[in-house]
Amino acid sequence: MERSGSRLKILAFVVAFMFVALSTRLWFLQVLAGPQHDRDARDNSLRTVATDALRGDILDRDGRRLVHNRISLEVRIKRDELGDEAEATLAHLSEILGVPAQELGEELDTKLFYSYQPVPVAEFVSEEVFFKVREEPEKFQGVEVVEQSVRSYPQGSLAAHLVGWVGQINAEEIDDPLFAGYGPADLVGKAGIEATYERWLRGKPGEERFLVNSDGEVLREFDPRPAEPGHDLRLSLDLDVQRIVEDELAAGLRRARTVFDASTGRNLAANAGAVVVLDPNTGGIVSMTSWPTFRPSWFVRGLSPEQDHYLNASEAAPSLSRATQITYAPGSTFKPFVALAALKEGLATMGGYYDCPADYVHPGDESGTIFHNWDGVGAGSLSIAQGLKVSCDTQYYQWGSDFYFRDAQTNQEELQRRVKQWGFGQPSDVDLPAEAAGTVPDRKYVTEHRARYPDGWIPGIDILLAIGSGEMKATPLQVAQAYAALASGKLCRPHLVSRIEDGEGRVARKIGGRCRRIPYTEAELNYIREALRSVTTGGTASSVFAPCSLDVAGKTGTAERPPFQDTSWFAGIVPAERPEYVVVATVEQGGFGAETAAPIVRNIMSRIYRTPCEGPALGEAED
Amino acid sequence: MDLVAGRVYADERRPIRHIDGFLLLVTTILLLLGFILIYSATNQTLRLDRLDPFARVNRQMVTAVIGMVLLLFMATFDYRFLKVYAGFIFVGVLLSLVLVHVPFLGSSEAGAQRWFEFAGGAGGLQITPSEFAKIGLIVMLAASLSELKRDTPTVQDLIRICGIALVPLMLVFIQPDIGTSIVFVAIAGGMLLVAGVRGRHLGALLAISLVMIAAAFQLGVVKEYQLDRLRAFIDRENTPADVRYNLDQAEIAVGSGGLFGQGYLHGRQTTLDYVPEQHTDFIFTVAGEEFGFVGAVFVLTLFALLLWRSIRIAFLSKDPFGTYLATGVAVMFAVQMFVNIGMVIGIMPITGIPLPFLSYGGSSMLVSCMGVGILLNVHMRRFK
Repeated sequence: MERSGSRLKILAFVVAFMFVALSTRLWFLQVLAGPQHDRDARDNSLRTVATDALRGDILDRDGRRLVHNRISLEVRIKRDELGDEAEATLAHLSEILGVPAQELGEELDTKLFYSYQPVPVAEFVSEEVFFKVREEPEKFQGVEVVEQSVRSYPQGSLAAHLVGWVGQINAEEIDDPLFAGYGPADLVGKAGIEATYERWLRGKPGEERFLVNSDGEVLREFDPRPAEPGHDLRLSLDLDVQRIVEDELAAGLRRARTVFDASTGRNLAANAGAVVVLDPNTGGIVSMTSWPTFRPSWFVRGLSPEQDHYLNASEAAPSLSRATQITYAPGSTFKPFVALAALKEGLATMGGYYDCPADYVHPGDESGTIFHNWDGVGAGSLSIAQGLKVSCDTQYYQWGSDFYFRDAQTNQEELQRRVKQWGFGQPSDVDLPAEAAGTVPDRKYVTEHRARYPDGWIPGIDILLAIGSGEMKATPLQVAQAYAALASGKLCRPHLVSRIEDGEGRVARKIGGRCRRIPYTEAELNYIREALRSVTTGGTASSVFAPCSLDVAGKTGTAERPPFQDTSWFAGIVPAERPEYVVVATVEQGGFGAETAAPIVRNIMSRIYRTPCEGPALGEAED
Repeated sequence: MDLVAGRVYADERRPIRHIDGFLLLVTTILLLLGFILIYSATNQTLRLDRLDPFARVNRQMVTAVIGMVLLLFMATFDYRFLKVYAGFIFVGVLLSLVLVHVPFLGSSEAGAQRWFEFAGGAGGLQITPSEFAKIGLIVMLAASLSELKRDTPTVQDLIRICGIALVPLMLVFIQPDIGTSIVFVAIAGGMLLVAGVRGRHLGALLAISLVMIAAAFQLGVVKEYQLDRLRAFIDRENTPADVRYNLDQAEIAVGSGGLFGQGYLHGRQTTLDYVPEQHTDFIFTVAGEEFGFVGAVFVLTLFALLLWRSIRIAFLSKDPFGTYLATGVAVMFAVQMFVNIGMVIGIMPITGIPLPFLSYGGSSMLVSCMGVGILLNVHMRRFK
């Protein structure tokens, strides 16, 4: 029996080992991993259903509604309540909705929602559906018809590009940490200020929480946390001006299409255009539009195939905002900034006179490149102001060339640095998505785009830049921002939203232009403003503005854009004495600036100030 | 007759004086703890079904009372009578294991023929012969081992003993009841170990069993759901959700108990019925969730005390038959406790072995009580 005694000790040892193993595992499970398991237990039994918050309204400067919400009826199915009669229920539902039962079944077969979350299967149903479901609950077990708020656009297509649209969150967005806390059916701003101010507009979804057991039975309902509605956006936009602007841009384009373009031998295409109206003192956007346009309401019910094609596949690309997302060569509207650069860098003086020949050849250039004046005619010797008035190009070629030589000595890129002071070549940081930055061709740009500059850094770059041509590109908004700086002496960040308000109209946040002074003296600025004033009184735009009693300082621009017809520009400051508005119009394939863009700006100003102009709204073929 | 001799005589005649009170106390605490845990595991579900929330506990109490009677009965007569009748007991057990396969006698669930049903329905009495077979096997093996001539069993002895164990083992295995089979193997192995079987013979036995297990898998004797459970244990990530569910929920329940537990009747997993089979095989999750690590270790301590007393009794017994009996019972408790709790906390595969004294269920409870009765018996009569 001694043997069995020692063997019993082995047995005791094995048993002791069992206890060590179990206790170790328990320590790991309960103490070390305890908190995680506690969360798991909570997740098991706590069901959270989010309730939508009412999205904020979008209002113009006077509180008129651009976007608000209305109620639509939505049919949802709670899959875990469908029960055994699921097929019969779907059949009944298919009957009253007029949708095949099979389609409804497919909608339910989704992994986007948890089984306890209701799946939306039909939106915008009639009240009739609502009553039918309510009257016969036994036929529609697990079906609910709920009120859902959707976006409504009382102004129609007005300011479509600015407002943007909302849509259901997509797969990429839902994985984005930016959209943490969003549900699979949630709406998010996809474009315009709906997107930029998503986090303000959205509000805070409410929460209903239930305690459920393993059979999904609700044992307890906790106090729901009500949804907090989103903030309202108050814009600097003036609905009246916006209406005028959209109206006049469309009319201007129609007019332009009747004009014969001698250089291409057919009428102007005038296929697209944009207008920006800025308050030069604040940077607030009073109006902004892009043509062709669309209706934000199309997105509420989902796009029809035709709408989808028009928006996303057609050449018109109407969803692009020409005012902020497309860049154009600014042409002669760029000259005031080059003139000021020349002044500042000592290449010219306010009292000086500079040759304006018919053609210009860069000294020492043996390639035979001749830079022509826009009208192919010389004008003798002109001051800076006189040069701007008639839009002499050759003066500027000379300055461009001078800048090239200056730069060759100093390596400071004086011209580029100067024009960038007005906001060119960088995003204006406007509160709209996907803004284009534009280009100021400098050494860095040339190095990075070798293919476009096979000869590298050559004088032609500065010479063309001096007349806002070549690779120089800006959005209409950037041009407006620069003219606003010219008008007020300060460069402001253009912005559409001026304040964010809570539901009771209390201001939650004010948004300003973050204006800063530009490094030019009042005398210099005044000299240029006066020069621009002469453009409308006796210069390139005088034929357009002569019939009006408006006090406008402005500049025409005509930018070549081969193989297309020229881009037509006009940038104006009104009243020139005490600037209130800067109005910039750009028309793709619109011909001369005085021909198409200037009349649009003139008509807009005339209607804003209610001072009718007596002449026709057709300008002459002048740069 | 002198006085001293008279005292000795009196001692021998009245074994009640040598009753192991401590073992009885531990057993009683385990039984009471079982009621507490079963109430927590069942009252919410019963309430939801508009039934008496005490229904299950009451039933368990009745079983426990019968168990106590059986316990006392097993302790009263001299355990050596068991040796005399070991053959009869063993044959009776084998017979019941065969009869359970007769369709109109035995009842089945999930394809397993496991128990006899008396008086039908949910309120009826279910007798699971494989449970009682454990006692039968212990008695039979103890009797055979104690009759061996030599201190170290020969190969022939070994073959004979294994042959004895193999018959009920096969009968249980084909039910199929892998959990009980494991307990049988452990009982036989433990008793052979204590009987002094040579190390290399034990090694050979182990090798043979491994070959047989492999053969069982190859020949398709092991059912698909059993394979699933094994897969779930080896590779938790890639198992079907329904198999994994049980393990996950049990682990969450025990884990969320933390150090001190969620409080009695306040365990989320328990009150909301997230752990399937919680009152039977997964009863330990209630202790883990509601009383935490401290409570779980308390339960382990109770079992440790039970096993300490069992092994001590095996040690104290002067009679090989008594030693083997106590060893068999100790191994039975140890294996069931380890496999059950190990399964609940994820270090053993799911096998469906009840936790002695704590799990809801009649036969298991009765057999556990009988085991303690045998232990008490051996302890009381250890001097002879």
